[in-house]
Order: sequence, then structure tokens, then C-alpha cells
Amino acid sequence: MATPMVSSAGGLLAMLNEPHPVLKLHALSNLNNLVDQFWPEISTSVPIIESLYEDEEFDLHQRQLAALLVSKVFYYLGELNDSLSYALGAGPLFDVSEDSDYVHTLLAKAIDEYASLRSKAVESNEMVDIDPRLEAIVERMLGKCISDGKYQQAMGIAIECRRLDKLEEAIIKSDNVQGTLSYCINVSHSFVNRREYRHEVLSLLVKVYQKLPSPDYLSICQCLMFLDEPQGVASILEKLLRSENKDDALLALQIAFDLVENEHQAFLLSVRDRLPAPKTRAVEATQAVETTIAPNENPSGDVQMADETPAQTIVHETDPVDATYAERLTKIKGILSGETSIQLTLQFLYSHNKSDLLILKTIKQSVEMRNSVCHSATIYANAIMHAGTTVDTFLRENLDWLSRATNWAKFSATAGLGVIHRGHLQQGRSLMAPYLPQGGAGGGGSPYSEGGALYALGLIHANHGEGIKQFLRDSLRSTNVEVIQHGACLGLGLSALGTADEEIYDDVKSVLYTDSAVAGEAAGISMGLLLVGTATEKASEMLAYAHETQHEKIIRGLALGIALTVYGREEGADTLIEQMTRDQDPIIRYGGMYALALAYSGTANNKAIRQLLHFAVSDVSDDVRRTAVLALGFVLYSDPEQTPRIVSLLSESYNPHVRYGAALAVGISCAGTGLSEAISLLEPLTSDVVDFVRQGALIAMAMVMVQISEASDSRVGVFRRQLEKIILDKHEDTMSKMGAILASGILDAGGRNVTIRLLSKTKHDKVTAVIGLAVFSQFWYWYPLIYFISLAFSPTAFIGLNYDLKVPKFEFMSHAKPSLFEYPKPTTVPTANTAVKLPTAVLSTSVKAKARAKKEAEQKAIAEKTSGPEKPVNESGSGKGKASTEKEGDSMQVDSPAAVEKKAPEPEPAFEILVNPARVVPAQEKYIKLLDDSRYVPVKLAPSGFVLLKDLREHEPEVLSLTDAPTSTASPATGTAAAAQGTPASAMAVDDEPQPPQAFEYAS
Amino acid sequence: MDPQLTEVSQQFERFKAAFARKDYNTCSDLLSQLKVLLTKFTSLPPLFENSPNAAKELTIARDIYEHAVVLSVKTEDQDAFERDFFQLKPYYVDARNRIPQSPQENLILGLNLLRLLVQNRIAEFHTELELLSSATLEDPCIKHAVELEQSFMEGAYNRVLSARQTAPDATYVYFMDLLAKTIRDEIAGCSEKAYDYVSISDARQMLLFSSDQELLTYVTDEHPEWEVKEGFVVFQKAKETAPCKEIPSLQLINQTLSYARELERIV
Repeated sequence: MATPMVSSAGGLLAMLNEPHPVLKLHALSNLNNLVDQFWPEISTSVPIIESLYEDEEFDLHQRQLAALLVSKVFYYLGELNDSLSYALGAGPLFDVSEDSDYVHTLLAKAIDEYASLRSKAVESNEMVDIDPRLEAIVERMLGKCISDGKYQQAMGIAIECRRLDKLEEAIIKSDNVQGTLSYCINVSHSFVNRREYRHEVLSLLVKVYQKLPSPDYLSICQCLMFLDEPQGVASILEKLLRSENKDDALLALQIAFDLVENEHQAFLLSVRDRLPAPKTRAVEATQAVETTIAPNENPSGDVQMADETPAQTIVHETDPVDATYAERLTKIKGILSGETSIQLTLQFLYSHNKSDLLILKTIKQSVEMRNSVCHSATIYANAIMHAGTTVDTFLRENLDWLSRATNWAKFSATAGLGVIHRGHLQQGRSLMAPYLPQGGAGGGGSPYSEGGALYALGLIHANHGEGIKQFLRDSLRSTNVEVIQHGACLGLGLSALGTADEEIYDDVKSVLYTDSAVAGEAAGISMGLLLVGTATEKASEMLAYAHETQHEKIIRGLALGIALTVYGREEGADTLIEQMTRDQDPIIRYGGMYALALAYSGTANNKAIRQLLHFAVSDVSDDVRRTAVLALGFVLYSDPEQTPRIVSLLSESYNPHVRYGAALAVGISCAGTGLSEAISLLEPLTSDVVDFVRQGALIAMAMVMVQISEASDSRVGVFRRQLEKIILDKHEDTMSKMGAILASGILDAGGRNVTIRLLSKTKHDKVTAVIGLAVFSQFWYWYPLIYFISLAFSPTAFIGLNYDLKVPKFEFMSHAKPSLFEYPKPTTVPTANTAVKLPTAVLSTSVKAKARAKKEAEQKAIAEKTSGPEKPVNESGSGKGKASTEKEGDSMQVDSPAAVEKKAPEPEPAFEILVNPARVVPAQEKYIKLLDDSRYVPVKLAPSGFVLLKDLREHEPEVLSLTDAPTSTASPATGTAAAAQGTPASAMAVDDEPQPPQAFEYAS
Repeated sequence: MDPQLTEVSQQFERFKAAFARKDYNTCSDLLSQLKVLLTKFTSLPPLFENSPNAAKELTIARDIYEHAVVLSVKTEDQDAFERDFFQLKPYYVDARNRIPQSPQENLILGLNLLRLLVQNRIAEFHTELELLSSATLEDPCIKHAVELEQSFMEGAYNRVLSARQTAPDATYVYFMDLLAKTIRDEIAGCSEKAYDYVSISDARQMLLFSSDQELLTYVTDEHPEWEVKEGFVVFQKAKETAPCKEIPSLQLINQTLSYARELERIV
């Protein structure tokens, strides 16, 4: 209003006391307009206005106006609860579409109140009276959001208020249903705290997805996996497999690979078992035409011949379709059982192995012979460095040194072979045969190597134990030696992870009840591994025995096992967690910390964090405190940026156990990320005054920095040099030196082709990885459990597959400088440099062989660099021919001068061409681009992992870049042959004529 | 002329006629109707919208409310006085630049000050005083109230009582009588605190009564806890014993135990 306002509301307030109703209405109406300016004055008259609202004789409209006025005054006074109450009383006068702070604030308050009441109603199973006026406001708000096109806001409100009907309405009415559904999935994972409610939301999403004309089966299956509904997934896969469209079959295979990445063995086996078998075909042999068809059918499926039954035309016509289905079914069953991805991963890790043996040699030479801890640590580092690659060269070359391992060190050394040959399902038993318990007298081998061999079999078959469980069970039952029982229990737990197999459980339980400390600890852990995420009453059984026994090792094994059983149960595990955390035995409280960590793993749940922080600062036991801090890493790994912030104060604690826990929490949460804050937090701890804190910090730093190149973060190079310095230092504490050795192994894990990843690309928790790290952190008490870290290793590979699940020749681009993501450069021998300076004749044959190999590697690198720049030059036209020639000339010249001059004149290209299968580091994924003229198109746009490729030129012959693996890749000669077979294909692709002779030389 | 304004004017004339006849019941009814009619004028506070008859409307509305205030004095309704005065005030404060000053303004303001004094709301009295200009303070109606308040504060109650004779307007008599009662209550309160007992003759003199009978009636009505016996008024003071506080022992025990537990945890 342009005209000046009154200076006081006193007149209108006085008018409220007039006996005449019309005057009261007049006063209310004007006060409502002036309340923004005169609310302090009006607040003294609130009781009068309230009485007007409650006056039955007063007109309804006037009463509502009074309520609105009181609501506004309370809003200005900061009493939002009262304000909301009177806003409800105002009825339609409270306009949700009004654009004012008052309405915005009260709407938020109303929604919070409504959400709180709805949650309370669900959680306490009571009938909570919700004011229908409050519900009407929220529904009006939701309706307005939907009509205004603000679907994300509507979905957020609907999820908070537990109004799934409104959520569905918002999704369906949005213009981009697919995008909306994806957004909703992310929201439900990130912000829905209660597991049961999250399942309800996901169920609704699956239902909506199914109704779409072209459903996104990839997302649907991921949701169904969250919901643990294997039947739904099986139905979708069957539908896609039976489709006549080849693209649908490719999509089914892609879905299967994506589900396998989530590592839920029980679920995947359930899906596989639910896929129906193809129908039996009846063919009459007497008919000549059908007799001709029959032989073609046999190789491709399960078709049976029944000569007696006459064939019908209709039945005959469906034969080809069913044969196709049978063929596809075989493939997808191989994928779902994990064998296909394991086999391909094995080939990738073997063929791309880039481990640096010189690092291990340096460690070996610097370690004193008498120090068994560092000796074992070196063996651990070797196993981790070669995890999954099947390359055990270091062990074979140092058998005398290796034989120094005795007793439990021998156990660990034997088990290390399991890490190296992880995933080698077919050859696992034959590889370990020399060490396994002998069926006969059993007097030959050492019980430590036998137990270690059984443990190794578990590591090889981790989470895929179909083929080995029976053997391990037989081994367990046929022995009374507790060392062998220890290894067998661990092996069984690993191979049957999460399957809750009753028979295995009983066998392991009988070992537990022998009350032997050594076997009992493994039995406790094994029971937990078996029952991962099941949270059955068996946990109470385990807890009861933990109270009975006197052996600390058994109590600790059982405590950890109980924690494993509640994995992922969130609020469902609260009762058990409460029980364990209140126990007077610190070991069981220690298990309670793990129970909290695993039940709420990856949720960043505030309640869990608060509880852990409480125990971290108040428990009387150092072990419980350390574990409470470490557990934060598990709760927060879905949000790694948050962990350094939460843990930073604890990392400066006076208590070294708390500092150690802080280091490992960061290592677990930020593993594989190279997070700058994590590195900053860990740096001072690597120089801590306490030796075990340094150990923990070094290991955690390696976990964070795995596969981070020095070009990405210069601190990686500094850290590598620090590790070398610690290892070479004769006066360093054994604990710290062990940490440095293990860190060296983790830093270059899996032949430098794996990272530590606790979440799959679809945000599922990787069960095996989480459980693996939880058990790995037990190395504080029991070193052999270090090998569990191999469960957390994920190959960083792009493996493109065609319809036949073969790996075709396929190129794509990494649009970044190659140095950002290249492998670390091999370390050099200082002695070798000295030798080079002196013109001494070197007579050693092995040295010459190494030099030759090195030269060939350099030539390969040069060839790769040359091919990169050439491609765009050629593509830009024939006019660039001259430039291309000059470029080649430069390359030729570069070969001649010294190595130092080689790098300077050549500018680094801005991108790199990668060939399938290729290593794609997590940080590199966002730079991956497809080439425009490529023959293959991915079914799903994914920068890494297993990707099904659609062939756009099926009529042309296909070139494969990765052939089938030989029956025994463990043999060095055969391995060389396999590598040689790979080289000719690459050489042919590059069209470089000198290459074939090199390959032929290799073959001989 | 505007029909609504005409209606209001006619109704107001009827009100004034009834007022002259001292027919206060009819006045109240007519006043209520007038107020309802006034709510339809948008030129009145708080809207103050411009209209062709804004000046006339504001003037007549102010006049009506001034008569309402005086009427409440006649009917001895202090609540009505307060309501009507508050509704009248915007016409003095906010409409000052729109219409000429009312000849009755100072009289009304003086009455309001006197009312606050009578009700012993001294703080509000001074607040209202601060809002007035120095020229207004010289007006006899305002000055009278100010002098009364000063005498009241000094305890010069005789001057307060004698001021009744010099009231500037007949409407002040009602409040002056009320003020005498207020003073008497104040004196009674002070005496009760100052003396254990006092003779009847002294009490009559202090409380400004004309006869002993009036004093006895006052004691019976206002202060039944007082005793009158043997020619004295005895002020019975209620013995005041402070309730002994209960020690929150359970709370202290819990705190001590938790302190002990926390100390145990420090390692």
C-alpha cells in the first residue's frame, strides 16, 4: 500500500473486545493483514484471539480467520508446533500456494510432522491418530508439486511421509519416467534409513517399472536383488532368453553379469535354479527329413530322441526356438554361477599382469633371516601382489628361502597359493594336490601345509564353492588334527559364504564343541561366514557358547562370527547388538562393535555412528575402542568423503589404539579412491611414535592409494619411497617393517590390475569385499587372516564380450593423458646402474635374457605411442600424409639417442587408445569414450566391467583378442604360449610387418 | 453526498439526541450500529485509502468515538472506555495530517491519563505522557492529571483529594471519586505494614472517613482479616513460614554414581 500505515495495532486489538461479532470480524480481518508488522504487539492478545477461535457461537469463517491469525503470531514467536496446530484450524484460509516465508515454513513443519507420525505408526504398530486436516495439507502440497512439474520434490515428500500412493502418482505423471525412476532408486538408497521401508519403496518401483511399455530390465533386476526376489529375476531372464530378438538375449546376459558383480552367491544360485529347463522334443526317426534335422539339434541342447512318438507339425516348428533357448540358457547359467566371469577375470589378470618382482627381491634381501615376522610378511606381500594372476614365479625361484617357513608360517605360505590362484576353479585341487591331506596313511605331509592347503582351496573358491564344498567337508570330518581343522573350517566358510548350508554348519559346530582353541577360533569365524546376513537364531546359539567357553580365541572367533551373521540387517540386528555391546566380556563387546559395523555397513546411519563414537571414547578396553573407531570405516564407506572428517579428531587421540583404529577406518572407507583428505590424515600417522600405529597407517595408506598413479597424486611416489626406506632400514621396528612390506603388496595388488572396492557400480554392497575386509582386520590377532583382503579385490577391467561370450577385437578411447593412469614404472636395480657404468663383460645368460625382454617391452611401448597419434592424423585426411611421415621420422630418430633425450622432445598425447580387454582404473572411467566407426556397440553404457557388445557387422569374420585359456595356465611354458598367441592378433591389427617374426621367435 | 455517509450522520444525530436526554441504553445500541457502519469506510484506519469523502468520514468517525469515550464515563464502564479510547487513538496519532485537530482531544487524553492513574497503572501513565508534545502538556486538562500523579507519588494525599474541586470538566468527577478510593486502599496497605494496631479515631482520620461507622463498614468489606476490638484496629499478620526444601537425594546419588563410573573409564 502506498498510503502510510497505522503506527499501532492497539485500535484493532481493542476492537476484538467489542461485543458485536461484525466488529470482531473487521478487527480480525485487518489484523491478519497487519500481522507481519505488528506481531509483537498482537502476541500479547493471543489468548483473546484463541478464545475467539474456540467460540462455538462464532461464525465458522471467523473462527478460521482467528486461527490463521494466531498461527501467524506463533510463527513469528518461533513456536512452530502451536503455529501448525492453528494453521490446521484455519482450514482453507491457509493457502499452500501462497509464496511467503510463513507458508513455506509451516509447510515444511507440516510435512515433518506428518512424516514423523506416519513413521511412528509404522514402527510401533500402533494406531496413531493423524489429523485429517494435516493430511489434507500434505496431500494438497503433493498435488501442487505434481501439477507444477516438480516431481523430484513430490517424490521426496512422498518418501518421507511414507505415502507410496503419491510416490507412484508422481512417477507415472512425470515426463521422463525412466529418469524419475533412477532418481527414486538413488534417493531410496541414500536417504531411506529403515531397511524394511526401503524394500517397500523398491517394490513399488519394480511394479512401476514393469508397467512401462519398454521396461528397463537392468534396473528392475537390480531392485529385485535388493529385495531378495530371485523368482522375479528368473522370470525376466527367461522372457528375454526366449525372445527372438538377439538384442534381448544380449541384454539378459548383461543383466546376469551385473548381478554377479554384486557377489550374492545364495541369490544367484537361486535365480539359476529357477530358470526352467527347455522342453523335451519328440522326433520320429522314421521320417527322413526329421532324421536329418535331429543330429543338428543334439550338439546345441538337451533334445532327446524318442523314436516311438510320432512328431507333429506344431511341435516340429518350435524346435529351433527351443534349441536357441537351450543354448542361451547354458550361457546364462554359466554366468550366474560365476564361472564365466571368474574365468574371464583370470585370463585378464594373467595376461595383463604387471607386477614388479624386483620389489619383492629387494624386500627379501633386506629382511634378516632370523626375523620370521618379516619373512612371513614378505610371503603375504607376494601373495597379495600376485592375487588372482596365477603367477607364482617368485615362490618357485626362491624355494630354499621359502622353506624356512615353519609351523603357522608354513600354513600361511601354503594358503598364499590360494590367493595367487584365486578363481582358478577348475585347476584348484590339482594345484594344491601336493599339499592336501593324503587319503591314505596321512603321515607324509605336515599338518600345517595340509591345513593351509584347505584354506587355500577356500580362497580359490571364495563365494563360489559349489565344486569344492564336499571335498572340504570330507577333509574336515576325516581329521582330528586341530591345525587341519583350522584350515578346513576357514576353507569351508569361504567356499560356502552366505549359503547357510545346514550340513556344513553342523560339521563346523562339532569342531567348535571340541573346545579346542585353535580349531574353535576358525570354527567361529566359519560359522559366521556361512551365515552371513541371515541373522537366524543360530547367532544366539553362538553367543551362548561364547559365554560358556574359557578360550579367548574361541570367544573372539565366535564374536566375529556373530557379527557376520547380522551383516546388512540394520535395525533388525539392534537387539543382538544391544546384547553384545552391554556384555561384561570385552571380547564380546569387541564383537558387538563389528556387529554394529556390519549391520549398518555402508548406510552412514547416524545412530550407528553415534553409538560407535560413544564406545570409542568411553569403553574401558583398548580393543573395544580400537574396533569402535575402525568400525566407522565400514559404516561410512558409501560416503568416503565423510570419514576423514569424522575420524580426524580421533586420529590425534592420546590413545594409540584409537589412532590405529582411525587409520584403518580411513583405509577401509576410502580404499581405492586416492582421496586427498584421506592421504592428508594418514600422512602424519605413518610417522607415529608407536610402532603398531605406523603399521596400521602404512597399510591404510596403501589401501587408499592402490592404483593411483604418481601423475595423479605426487604423494604416491613419496609414499613408495617411504616404504622402501622403511623396509631397508635395519633399525626400524618389526611391526612397522611388517606394515611397510604388506603395504608394498597391497599397493601393487593383483598384478597392478585390481582395486579395493566395497560397492558395485549399481550401489549394491559387495558382500564378499565387506566381509573380506572385516576378517582381514583381524590380522591384529591372527596373521593368516591377512589373506581375506583378497576378497575385496576387484579387477579394474573393461572386458567386452560378443554374443558367444568371446572377447572380440575392440578399441575405445581414454580421453586423458596416458601418464595419468599408466602402470608405475618398473623399479631399477642400483647395482645394475653401477655395472653399466663399468665396461665389464657380463657372462650371465639370465641377465642377457632380461635385457632382451626389457628392450622388447620398450619397443611395444613405442609402438603403442606411435599408433595413438597416427590414428587422428590419418583420419583427418590425405593432406596430413606429409605430417604423418615426419612424425614417423621423429619416432625413428627417437629410438637412436639415449633414454634421457628420448622423452624430452616427444610431447605426450592427450588421449590413449585402449584395446579390449583393457585396464580401466576407477578414476579413469569418466574419460572413457567410444569410437564412432566402431564395429561393436555396448548393450549398456558402462566404462568398465563386463559389457556385452552388439555386433553391427555380423557377416564379417570376427577377430578375437583373447583366446580360450589353455587347460593349465599354471605352467610357465603354456603361459608363454598363450601370450604368444595373443601377440600375433595384436600385430595383425596394428599392421606392423616386423611383428610376426618376433612372435614366431617366442613360439619356439 | 454519499448515502452511507448520510446514514451515519443521521444515526449520529439520533445518538446525540439520546445522549442529551441521558438515555444511555439507547445510546449504547445506537453506538454499536454506528461502529458497524463505520467498518465499511475504507478511508478510516487502518486502511486510510483516499476517497472523495475521506475528510468528512474521518471527522465524523472521530467524533463518534469521542462521544463513545464520554459515554463510557457516564455509564461508568472502564472496559468500554479502554476499548473506545484505543480505537479512537489512531485518529489522533495517524490521521493528524489529514483532518484538523479535534477540540476535544486534550480532554479525552486527560481522561485517559486519569483512568490509568485510577487503575494504578503508573508505567502506562508515563508511557502515554511521553507521547505528548510539550505544548500539549501545558493544557489544563493534561496538567491536572500530571499534578495529581505527582501528589500521589509524593504521598500528599490531601492535595489529591482537594483537587476534586478544581477539575477542569464535569466528566472528571467520576474518576476523582475512584481516585479517592484508590488512595484509601494505598493508605490501608501502608498502615497494615507499618503498625501492629491503631486506634479507631486515628484510623478514621488516616483513611479520610467522616464517621466511625464508615470506617467499620470499610473494614468489614475490604479487610475482613482486620480485627476491631476495645477501640483499636488490630492488623493480624499472617505468620509466614518458609517451606523447608526437600533434598533431592536420588538425583544426587545418581550423579555421584555416574561420576564414579566415568572416572573408572579414564585410562
